[in-house]
Amino acid sequence: MPPATPATSLLDTRLRVETPEGVDLLLSPASALTRARAFAVDLALRAALSLALLGVLGRLGELGIGLGLILLFLLNWWYMVLFEVLNQGRSPGKQLFGLRVVHEDGTPVGWGAALLRNLLRFVDMLPLGYCCGLLASLANPRFQRLGDLAAGTLVIHQPRAPAAVQLEPMTPLPAPFALSAAEQRAVLAYGERQRQLSPARREELAGLLAPLLGVTAEQAPLRLQQIAADLRGTP
Amino acid sequence: MPLSDAAVAVRPRSPWEAVDLGVRLAQRHAGLLLASWALLTVPLLAVFSLLLWRYPSVALLLFWWLKPAFERLPLHILSRALFGATPTLGQALRAWPGLLRGELLASLTWRRFSLSRSFTLPLLQLENLRGQARRQRLDALGRRSGVARWLTLLGIHIELLLWTGLLVLIYLLLPTDFASESSWLALLLRPPEEWLWLEHLSNACYALVLVVWEPIYVACGFSLYLNRRSELEAWDLELAFRRLLERLGQASLVLLLSLGLWLPHGAVLAQETEQTAMPVSLAGSATCLLPSEDNPGPQAPRLTHQPLDSQQARREIQALLAAPPFHRVEERIDWGWSAADEPDAPPLIRTPAWLQGATAVIEVLLWALLVAGLALLAWRYRDWLRLFAVRGQTAREADAAPPAQLFGLAVDPRSLPDDLPASVEQLWAVDPRAALALLYRGLLSHLLHQRRLPLRAAHTEGEVLVLLQGLDDPALDAFARRLLDAWQALAYGSRPPPAELGPELCDAWRQLGLNSRAQAGVAP
Repeated sequence: MPPATPATSLLDTRLRVETPEGVDLLLSPASALTRARAFAVDLALRAALSLALLGVLGRLGELGIGLGLILLFLLNWWYMVLFEVLNQGRSPGKQLFGLRVVHEDGTPVGWGAALLRNLLRFVDMLPLGYCCGLLASLANPRFQRLGDLAAGTLVIHQPRAPAAVQLEPMTPLPAPFALSAAEQRAVLAYGERQRQLSPARREELAGLLAPLLGVTAEQAPLRLQQIAADLRGTP
Repeated sequence: MPLSDAAVAVRPRSPWEAVDLGVRLAQRHAGLLLASWALLTVPLLAVFSLLLWRYPSVALLLFWWLKPAFERLPLHILSRALFGATPTLGQALRAWPGLLRGELLASLTWRRFSLSRSFTLPLLQLENLRGQARRQRLDALGRRSGVARWLTLLGIHIELLLWTGLLVLIYLLLPTDFASESSWLALLLRPPEEWLWLEHLSNACYALVLVVWEPIYVACGFSLYLNRRSELEAWDLELAFRRLLERLGQASLVLLLSLGLWLPHGAVLAQETEQTAMPVSLAGSATCLLPSEDNPGPQAPRLTHQPLDSQQARREIQALLAAPPFHRVEERIDWGWSAADEPDAPPLIRTPAWLQGATAVIEVLLWALLVAGLALLAWRYRDWLRLFAVRGQTAREADAAPPAQLFGLAVDPRSLPDDLPASVEQLWAVDPRAALALLYRGLLSHLLHQRRLPLRAAHTEGEVLVLLQGLDDPALDAFARRLLDAWQALAYGSRPPPAELGPELCDAWRQLGLNSRAQAGVAP
């Protein structure tokens, strides 16, 4: 697949990946600040697990300590790898905050990339507490730390399903002119975002289109909502 | 500030995505932001350190306390840059004293510890809201400023982390003999005055860390503020509607004019279309019309009353197809004959006409010689060729034993009765199916053994008929056709043959003198 390119010429975090079928996938990489929360959760989880492990195994004497050290090693180095490969690129922290690791072309992360990006945490940690990784990620337009750069991976926001909107029933009216896909989306969004907008702003926005719709500015919001209802089709 | 000039993509984002955008914003203007911050803060810290040389902690505290005042500079730069009017370094620094006027005291005292500082600063600095108005606006905007608080908490950790990291890095880079534990102990055991420089060094490191982090922090707060406003005021919708207005503004004028022209004829037009619509659509569904005046082909100009007519669209499509990625120019280097690359050199001497005629004659002669030679060779080895090349194939085909069974029917002559028509007539009354099968077997056997027809088990009845035509025997052909039609109808359709068919076929059999057994005069 071709590499991801910025989605617009304007400043945006989104990347566009075109699949061979000609479908555009939009990826929105997450910055270090967003990922820091997820990492903190993962760190806390691992710390709690380690303490519990040592507490239980410490009672078994030297054998317990030895076993505990092996398990600690596994926990520290394989926790992220296993979760990322087996849980669709999401460690528990990432899952909690809707983040996901994928390859740069949007494909699910595999063993090779997951191992590489997590082994290179060792470099990102230098000299203390992920300073290197933090600076690299803050300086990179795709927010990749060094491990991500080496493994060719991205941490992206998982697209969430939009919340269902309560819509008032409305007599649908066809638009008096042809609308492009983007314009249809805008009209639909106008219909759906009624509650977020103040009445004055609703009227102001619809008033922009009043001359096109052939109605007065006061009637424009209702007309625009009716057009949106028509675009939505029957519920 | 028209929204369409905004340098960032306006779309609904989650607050954390807005933070991501803030990082991108800071990256875009990193040089200016970092340089202006450094030029503003580092000299100030130097002054504090010199004035308070004996109290490095106080200098640091003072410096830290003034951060909100410094933060107004990156916000000023970012707010200008958002609409493309990025100030130069000098302009930005000169503008800073003017930025301090609005409620600086509040920012540095009771609002100093506000966690959503980065989010509320734009209200003060960009919207110039004070007192009651500011509180109302905050209520409207601030319902989801939780992320701004998180941002500040994160910022505290990042500052501490980078600061410690930088100090550790410096320590790690020290030569080992200088960094040995004993010398550090010796240093720290001396009176505090003698290691004040160490604290000032650490202060400088903090200032350096702020150079990197603070612009990002301010940019993220600004981006959160923008996102919240864009969400509340639906900036993306405004942009989309304005674009729609721009696109249709011109077109709608034309539409209105044309409507005005058409209205008087509207009724007439409707009648006309009703009358003509049916035949046209019928004709269209029946055949594909050839291009004509009524029905121009795909190449003719169409959609001529639209802003984008078909010809312009075709031109644009061609241009698009000629550009990458559709049109790819590849340069390849291959080995080739050098002579092939050179153009044919013009002949030095023009050959006379008679010489050209002579060459043509010589060419014909040479070709004739070659053909004659080949013919001579063929004549010389004619016996050998007949024996091994031609004879071999025909002999093999002829010698191959005809199959004893075809499509499950035994066609060996020995399996057939001696007087086949008589047997068929006997059977016909009892079992027409068996009688027809016997006739069919007899026919196939005759074709195989007497006529040497190369029948195979894969042949269908139809193919047998086609092969029969090759024998050029119309009487046999007609007989076989009747027989096979009846046989197919019976075998596949279970339709019984007419009763008189059997005797008729037997008569035809006798008239044709068919037999599968070799008889004198018939055998080849």
